[in-house]
Amino acid sequence: MTSGLSETRAVDADVTLPAARPAAPTAVVLATARADDGRPAALLPFGGGTVLGHLTGQLGPVVVLARPEFEADVRRAAGPAADVRASASPADDLRAIAAAARAAGGDLLVLHGDIVTHAEALGWLLAGPRSGALTGGPGRAEFPVQARRDRLTSASSAYHGVGRPNATFLGVLRTAPDDLGTLADVAERLARLVEDPPAAWRSELARKGERMASDVDDDHADPEGAEADRPGPADPDDVAALLLVGLVRAGVPVAPVFLRRLLWDRPLSPAEAAAAAERIEATDVDRLRLDSSVKAIDGFFTTFLVTPYSKHLARWAARRGLTPDQVTIASLAIGVLAAAAFATGERWGLVAGAVLLLASFVTDCVDGQLARYTGTFSRLGGWLDAMFDRAKEYLAFAGLAIGAGDVWLLACAAITLQTVRHAADFAFAAAQDEAAPPPPVEDPLDGAARPPRMLAAWRRFDAWAPLRWGKRMIAFPIGERFAVIALTAAAFTPRVTFVVLLAWGGVALAYSQAGRVLRSLR
Amino acid sequence: MTALALYRDDGPLARALGREAEPVLPLPAAALIVGGLAPLLVVAVVRGGEVSYAGAGVVLAWLLLTAGASAGAPDSARTGWLTPPLMRAAEYSALIWIAAVHGASAYPGAFAVIAALTFRHYDLVYRRRRADRAGTLALGWDGRLVLGYLLLVAGALPAGFYFMAIVLGAVFVADAVHGLGDDG
Repeated sequence: MTSGLSETRAVDADVTLPAARPAAPTAVVLATARADDGRPAALLPFGGGTVLGHLTGQLGPVVVLARPEFEADVRRAAGPAADVRASASPADDLRAIAAAARAAGGDLLVLHGDIVTHAEALGWLLAGPRSGALTGGPGRAEFPVQARRDRLTSASSAYHGVGRPNATFLGVLRTAPDDLGTLADVAERLARLVEDPPAAWRSELARKGERMASDVDDDHADPEGAEADRPGPADPDDVAALLLVGLVRAGVPVAPVFLRRLLWDRPLSPAEAAAAAERIEATDVDRLRLDSSVKAIDGFFTTFLVTPYSKHLARWAARRGLTPDQVTIASLAIGVLAAAAFATGERWGLVAGAVLLLASFVTDCVDGQLARYTGTFSRLGGWLDAMFDRAKEYLAFAGLAIGAGDVWLLACAAITLQTVRHAADFAFAAAQDEAAPPPPVEDPLDGAARPPRMLAAWRRFDAWAPLRWGKRMIAFPIGERFAVIALTAAAFTPRVTFVVLLAWGGVALAYSQAGRVLRSLR
Repeated sequence: MTALALYRDDGPLARALGREAEPVLPLPAAALIVGGLAPLLVVAVVRGGEVSYAGAGVVLAWLLLTAGASAGAPDSARTGWLTPPLMRAAEYSALIWIAAVHGASAYPGAFAVIAALTFRHYDLVYRRRRADRAGTLALGWDGRLVLGYLLLVAGALPAGFYFMAIVLGAVFVADAVHGLGDDG
């Protein structure tokens, strides 16, 4: 489906105004989760100090919540600047978070005190304008979530299920100032609920327990199964997961902020903490940031033939001090030159235009990577990038038609087909966003939490890598389109270019819309 | 206005038709637009551009009536997403066919008009909150089809299409620049 690709995404959603950044965010750190020895995991040793001390060093002002019996130890570990408070239960944790949300002027972070990660991960979470949750791939952590485009559509806790998850929540929740009131309301409501969980919650918790037990049996039957790194049982005291469910159910758009290649761990023993410290020490953060600047889901052409070197161009541009917007504008300028070369209609012009068009596409990939690498996003930048992509493509159509002279009808058909394909993607996404509101947190299941309908064998086939790439190629994403325009124009004639664009685009339209229509009618 | 209603890009004429048709409509919007576009596509395939201005007027008026009436069709939760892409297919196809009725010399002009329109239709999505601004000046798809037909009948093609593309493009770009300035 093309819906995972940037060209079909509304720009508003994932860009920010750098100037609007308020004072440092407040963080509520939960030093409550237990390690294997029963003491707070946040107190595990880490590089001469503790995991908690390492984490609070990466944050601004912090409020640390600790169970009363460990309050003194946590206070020692958290450092003199931290405001450590005793909190006897998850319900008290939630009330303390509600109070912090009502008092906070800027963003509020809620996170576990036993998390080991890079400061960059927390920086990414705070980079956008909206509330967000740090997320990782499926199986990475204990609470699966469902992310669709740039918002979480369903989240889970010990008491809440999620259907068809495609990511996991990594225990760091960032609430933007606009959503703090909702967070406080949600936290107070959850506090009442966790004190005496409703029957539906308890049966969901029991269901999770049974599933764990049966999974363990499976492991015995197949000791070499791929489930070795299965996360632990769902912890009913995990208030971060509960809050995420609460925000999602309240209709707050929470962005999934993916960890990508960065490290993240929640050690449970001194040995695991030492291993995590070693891995963090040994990491080339710049290298990871660069690798992470590559978009998670992209087309075949872009992934294999462009990003392997375009990310190095992005680093070069960053060192030269170029901004993403400057690179975007340069990309358009190269695209205009490509269209002008096509318009000559001569063979040399078609070849030169093809080379320029590919150069323009590579430059276009660089601007997004540069923005992700340097963490500079702007609303204008996102808009320019999206509009200029369309402008370059349609200018190339015009150039080819001017050069050939007699293919204007095909050019009209090609621009219509491509715009209709995008319109369908946009409208489908908008319809999903405006669908029925999620049920309240009292309900353990939401609309997304249906049991999967696919057979296991079909699911494995569906996830088979060559098929996945094939499906992405059928959808005819932007990289493939630019490659087709360049290669057919250079080797053949503009007429061939338009015929191939119409044929492949027609198949893509039929393939993706047929699936959507069938799903809509069911 | 919901996003889907905004993406339709209706003008005053379509909205009025929708209001009139709302109480009596038996069909979902998508079916109405398909029914409105079908005769145009059949005629275009069978006759190409070989039709009289009056014949072209009948075909375009049918599209205007049915697709306009669809503006009043109740929002279908399941197939509502089909209307914006069908609207674009109908509008752009009709403009290309108007060019075909004039003759091949009008195709570049039709391309120019469509290219200008794509700017608006992508901008409607990318900048949803303030995209209504150019609404009246943009005429809506209905107004643009009427204008295109009048240019055809008045013998003003292909120059009329270039003029239309330049004016629409200027309106859209000015609105975008203005809107982005406001946003900061």
